[in-house]
Amino acid sequence: MPVLKKLIDVITMKSDRPMRRLMAYYGILAVIIVILAYFFPGLVQRIGAKGLGDVSEGPTVLADALSSSPTASIGFEPGGLGDVAITTVLILLGALALMLPVTWVYMSARPIPGHNQTVVQTLIILPLVVAGIVYIVQNRLALAFSLAGVVGAVRFRSTLRDTRDLVYIFLAIVVGFAAGVQSLAVGALISIVFNLVLLVTWQYDYGRNVLTPTASSQWAGPLHTLASPTGDHEIPDRDLVLSLTPEKAGALADRFQRVRDTLGKKKKKPRYTSVLTITTDNVPEAQKQVEEVLDRMTKRWDLDEVVTNVGKPCEIYYLTRLKKSIPRDVLLTAIHENADGIIASADLETGEPFDDKAATKG
Amino acid sequence: MTAARRFLMLVCLVPCVAACRRTSEARAAQVRAAEATRQQQLARRLAMADANPAKALPVAMWLMPPELREISGLALTPRGTVLTHDDQVARIYEIDPKTGILLKGFSLAGGVRGDFEAITIAGSDIYLLRSNGKIFKFKEGADGGQIPYSVYDTGLGKECEFESMAYEADSSRLVLVCKKFLQKKAPKELLIYHLPLPLGDRSAMTTLRVPIADVIGSNKWKNFHPSDINIDPFTKNYVIVASREKGLIVVTPDGEVVRSEPIPGDHRQAEGVAITADSILIVSDEANVKPPAITLYRWRK
Repeated sequence: MPVLKKLIDVITMKSDRPMRRLMAYYGILAVIIVILAYFFPGLVQRIGAKGLGDVSEGPTVLADALSSSPTASIGFEPGGLGDVAITTVLILLGALALMLPVTWVYMSARPIPGHNQTVVQTLIILPLVVAGIVYIVQNRLALAFSLAGVVGAVRFRSTLRDTRDLVYIFLAIVVGFAAGVQSLAVGALISIVFNLVLLVTWQYDYGRNVLTPTASSQWAGPLHTLASPTGDHEIPDRDLVLSLTPEKAGALADRFQRVRDTLGKKKKKPRYTSVLTITTDNVPEAQKQVEEVLDRMTKRWDLDEVVTNVGKPCEIYYLTRLKKSIPRDVLLTAIHENADGIIASADLETGEPFDDKAATKG
Repeated sequence: MTAARRFLMLVCLVPCVAACRRTSEARAAQVRAAEATRQQQLARRLAMADANPAKALPVAMWLMPPELREISGLALTPRGTVLTHDDQVARIYEIDPKTGILLKGFSLAGGVRGDFEAITIAGSDIYLLRSNGKIFKFKEGADGGQIPYSVYDTGLGKECEFESMAYEADSSRLVLVCKKFLQKKAPKELLIYHLPLPLGDRSAMTTLRVPIADVIGSNKWKNFHPSDINIDPFTKNYVIVASREKGLIVVTPDGEVVRSEPIPGDHRQAEGVAITADSILIVSDEANVKPPAITLYRWRK
């Protein structure tokens, strides 16, 4: 998994955008399939579209009814043990490969913050089970009836928080069916289209009541105020702010709130006047080096938060109050010199204490 | 994960991948081996059958795969193989009858379903007959292929139910035999239709009527319901089998019954018949208590 993640990072240039990452995943999957199809054409055809109709299987030795030792009963003839084992493994892996991106979309593209871990795990496991069942039953009517009897004895009574979870479960069943009937090509297309449609509808907030503001417009105001309490300054990267997911914007707003609380009201003398942001891959070492500089060059400082990211540098936030004799650039230069090669970037945002009245007027 | 673990995993994966790769090669080797063995076996059995002409012993019997549970018509290709099909789906299979190897399978585009009863080859065209008299014309396809087709309605579906069709090369026409008359007062005769190729001109269609009494001959049959027809390559006579009566008759193109006897061996539901250029009679049986199979006999002229 880390290898896949790194590969996706390379392809997407470490982009966080779900659509890009999804496309990168499907691209990697397509390349793997093409390579497999080149080297093992029979295998890919066997699980790709067999259930749809005709797939070449090559010559097959029929059983000899007159001979006591039928030649056909050995080896890799269709239905042989080796064949069945390989096909089973392939359809299960195929179902898994198709459901992984669905779980990513499920976890990220959600209007309600948070997701149900049980559903995520169900989305992974359910298609495997369904594929197994369908592969066993296939065209056997008697088995199908037996299965209906067995399944009838098991009752599922579960209330899902979001009605959309049900659609994900249905998709898991469909992918499982596709894998079971060895038509993963159909499953793949359904999975791709499903994910894309879901991401697009989520991104554009499709179906939103016109009276309800969009997530981006909801956050744009407070973020703008926070970035520029007087309203004089523009947000440095407006696109970045607007592209934030509600979850990320929520996290950011929380951080701003915490900083605001720490900085205190305008009338009160603030303990800290600036936020130092450090990005690094080596948090302990970076902390050590940066804190050395902060000890020397600030009146006081406090570690606010360490945000650990997977697949990209971690972020360390310090609340600082600079000495009057130390300008911003001097501090940043000193940090860069002291922690050369350890930190990716350092930035200092100096702000004024938050004025509630000014913000309300604005 | 350490490098050593990764290496170990890779080493474990190699044989698995190699095994996957070998699947098709293993199958090809298995096919070649079976082919050689079975050819020798057939030669021995044919020699035994020739030595005992009084006994109609099968020289080979191949069990069909589940897809051919309802195996129906048989058509000989110039290569010596037979084309056959299932009753329910327009999917054609090529089988080498002498070695019992299923060579390939292809379908009509769109997976046409219906009651398909007979197949025959005329030059590069293949004709597939539905029981309602509709004929599907197409070319031979590659393994796993889906091929386009055209449909011709003979218009005979209101009169007869069909299960038999063959191509008579000498007169370039299709020969269809009526299995069951759909009128209430069915005539006591075997009705054979001749449809000149190319199909399209219904007025050019002719019929041949053979009194049922001649067909039955000395057998104890009450009637005769043909399930397949083929042309004897030596005499050009029509060889017709009936699954219900378990009978086999040979009729000249003029309508004279020259042979009327039970089908050799034990056939629960003989649905297809073909005679090869080297005098082998092939009979196909759909699943009926016994598994579906094609059986080979020495054809005695």
